Amino acid sequence: MKSDSRFIDETGKVLMLGNEALVRGCLEAGVSYVSQYPGTPTSDIGEYFHQVLTENPDLKDYLVHQWAVNEAVATSSCAGAAWTGVRTFNPMKHVGLNVASDALSVIALNGPNPGAMVIGVGSDPGSLGSHQEQNERFYAWMLHLPTIEPHTPQECKDWVKLAFDLSEKYDLVINLRTSTRNAHSRGFVELEPLKKGKEKGEFIRNIPKFNSLPPHAINNHVRLYERIERLREAIPDLGLNKIYPGNNKIGIITSGVPFGYTMEALHQLELYNVPILKLGMIYPLNYQEITNFIQDLEKIIIIEELEPFLEIKISEIAQIKKLNVEIIGSKYFPKFNEFSTGLVATTLAKIFHKKPNEQMIKAIDYFNSYKEMIPSRFPTFCAGCPERATLYSILKATNQLENTVVCGDIGCYVMSFFPPQQCSDLIICMSGGLSAAIGMSTKTDQKVLAMIGDSTFFHTGLSPLAEAIGYDSNILLIIFDNEWTAMTGHQNDVLRYLINKDFSIEKVCRALGVPWLRVEDSYNPKKLTKSIEEALNAKGLKVIIIKRECGLQAHRYRMQQIRSIESQGEKAQEELFHITGCQMCHECSRILSCPAIRRVEIDGYETMQIDDDRCIRCGVCYQICPNGAIHKSTLNLLGEEVPFRH
Amino acid sequence: MKVKETDIVNIVIAGTAGQGVITLKRLIEFAAQKSGVERVFGSEMHGLAQREGAITSHTRYQKKIFKDERRNLQSPLICYGDADIFICLEPVEALRRGIFASQKTTFVLNEHDIPGVMITADLEAYPPLDKIVEILKEYSNDIHTINATKICLNNFNSNLMVNIFMLGYAIPTGKLPFINVEHYEEVIKEWLRDPDINIKALHLGIEEGNKVNYI
Repeated sequence: MKSDSRFIDETGKVLMLGNEALVRGCLEAGVSYVSQYPGTPTSDIGEYFHQVLTENPDLKDYLVHQWAVNEAVATSSCAGAAWTGVRTFNPMKHVGLNVASDALSVIALNGPNPGAMVIGVGSDPGSLGSHQEQNERFYAWMLHLPTIEPHTPQECKDWVKLAFDLSEKYDLVINLRTSTRNAHSRGFVELEPLKKGKEKGEFIRNIPKFNSLPPHAINNHVRLYERIERLREAIPDLGLNKIYPGNNKIGIITSGVPFGYTMEALHQLELYNVPILKLGMIYPLNYQEITNFIQDLEKIIIIEELEPFLEIKISEIAQIKKLNVEIIGSKYFPKFNEFSTGLVATTLAKIFHKKPNEQMIKAIDYFNSYKEMIPSRFPTFCAGCPERATLYSILKATNQLENTVVCGDIGCYVMSFFPPQQCSDLIICMSGGLSAAIGMSTKTDQKVLAMIGDSTFFHTGLSPLAEAIGYDSNILLIIFDNEWTAMTGHQNDVLRYLINKDFSIEKVCRALGVPWLRVEDSYNPKKLTKSIEEALNAKGLKVIIIKRECGLQAHRYRMQQIRSIESQGEKAQEELFHITGCQMCHECSRILSCPAIRRVEIDGYETMQIDDDRCIRCGVCYQICPNGAIHKSTLNLLGEEVPFRH
Repeated sequence: MKVKETDIVNIVIAGTAGQGVITLKRLIEFAAQKSGVERVFGSEMHGLAQREGAITSHTRYQKKIFKDERRNLQSPLICYGDADIFICLEPVEALRRGIFASQKTTFVLNEHDIPGVMITADLEAYPPLDKIVEILKEYSNDIHTINATKICLNNFNSNLMVNIFMLGYAIPTGKLPFINVEHYEEVIKEWLRDPDINIKALHLGIEEGNKVNYI
């Protein structure tokens, strides 16, 4: 396996994902500082920066990459670096922009000069990797964030470079907006030479620019309008927007991935004469450029995912310019979910009075006729996950959540609501569960339980915990201290740095003054269940920290150890779990529901079976089987023991 | 039907977490690059790879592009009914992605099932293989099943090569045009940890695929 040269070669044509191309573009633009909190679809951006810096440590003088504790910190960090005169990049997921927006509203007002700042917001139509699919494009309007929307990886690379130039030239924070779909789509990218980032900058005092308080707040607002207007005038010369001419009296305006669906849909419908305006910059819009495209047309179809953003802005221009053109979009297209070529084609077929492609209609109809019988396969906790084991103890301690409310949160445990465990009653946002529990516990006599992971705890969880301690809220808070930001892919983030500094959540809780605190291990389910029972019977705030490393990471580490022992010709001790005499009580499959256990038929009898390949030897099923049907045996008794870390 | 160089090739790969769906997609794309195709554009899902979820990817390429962009590959997603081939690493996942199939689709299907937690809990039913094939036949008769997992376990004592074996099994269908076996071998050497064993799995797949009589 060779190292990845796509980020360091000076020329060539390579295959890249949209996100990889963004990173490449940043490296060609001389980016000097990058900070982000991980979140789909932008998590891997930071991983590629990390990889480049690990493989090319000499670059560390020119480029700093940091995983921030949350999006607001990341955004302000990027602004701070930009104000020393360097180029900074700040990726975030669409809901991350909510967290960052407080900081961003001021940074956009002040402007990133003397440096440059580009944010890379990953939207998620279809909620493919998020708890909702909000249309964050309206922030562009509210905060005056010029927004560029690429379609292909090539455009991702080229346009992020341009975004840095524009940010520097116009003193504006530029948003390079992708979606889950194009962030993770691969295509060819023509490379251009790399440029090293500035090693050092210097902050130069400028009180009116960097202190947006009265009277400077109003002056900076006026200045922001001037900067936006200057950019608006320049748009036609930037090469971001493109017209595909045609003589049809109905035209289309679209951008990003929906442009791709539109082109293929028109091809399918054999409509080759429809004029198309592909917008690369969706905010601001150049009035004359839009007017030139729409003035001779009778009807304009706006093809955009989620709430009508372009439709409103283009209607506004048509009204200002008194143009007699019908503008449609959300009347025909859904304002929710991700689009597809099929959806665009069937909708355009209606508008243009064409017959949709028969092969496609047949496929849709036939699929709909049988889809109900496809068994579900939702994401769930990995085999041996300590969070799954914790849910088991919660279910046991509360008699399957009798008179109990579980306030869930964001992290792997976001999956708690899925059957068969169904152990989460509500989800809001990062640390929203604990906050909801504070209010709820004042108004109900039900037992209120909240869950939070370690990364979410540091993201925004410390503040509601302080409040819950202050009011001695009648809540049981379970903190999953698994040592990793696991859901987004175990990034080498600030959590890891804290752990290496002998930092612990237990110390934080003690320092804050948590009145009832225990540290438990979910791989000891009977003890944990008892603790949860006791906590729920006590009044006031109770905190149980589940101290157990992410099963996936612990297993990987352990397998490495075993491989290394075996490579030296030695033997490692191995525990095996197996089932005999299963009574099919379903304790392991419905309440624990570990995916390493499967139901099989042997000689006409149903039994459960443990999949050796997937079992990580956590031993939880062995401890909880009510019939003693799960057995443990040890192979290579004389070999070296390889326990889990700690 | 002869494939033209300007035709868009549409490949759906379906499977479950950890089966190597995304790895397989990347290998085909990088092999397509080696073979000199002019455009590649395909989508993959991240984030659920270790969370037991259903994984699918769309691989698309066009050997020669038209001057007129309106006739070219523009979307990272295949349109409903437009897949040329389904490479299915798990039977029920073929059904889940069926909407992309039609009579022009060839299915190659690993017979080995991976039941989800709801099946184990006996709260949902997993359809028998015969039933799955029967449903797929309504799309197309061109269905070829093989127990790739069993073959890989027997030959390599591991199921990690199931994805590459299934690629090999798919090659004789002719539905992955313009890419030669050498191109796959090259990218396997460049990108995979155990190239030798994976190349063996590829050839074993091709051997099994060659036993099938394609129309």
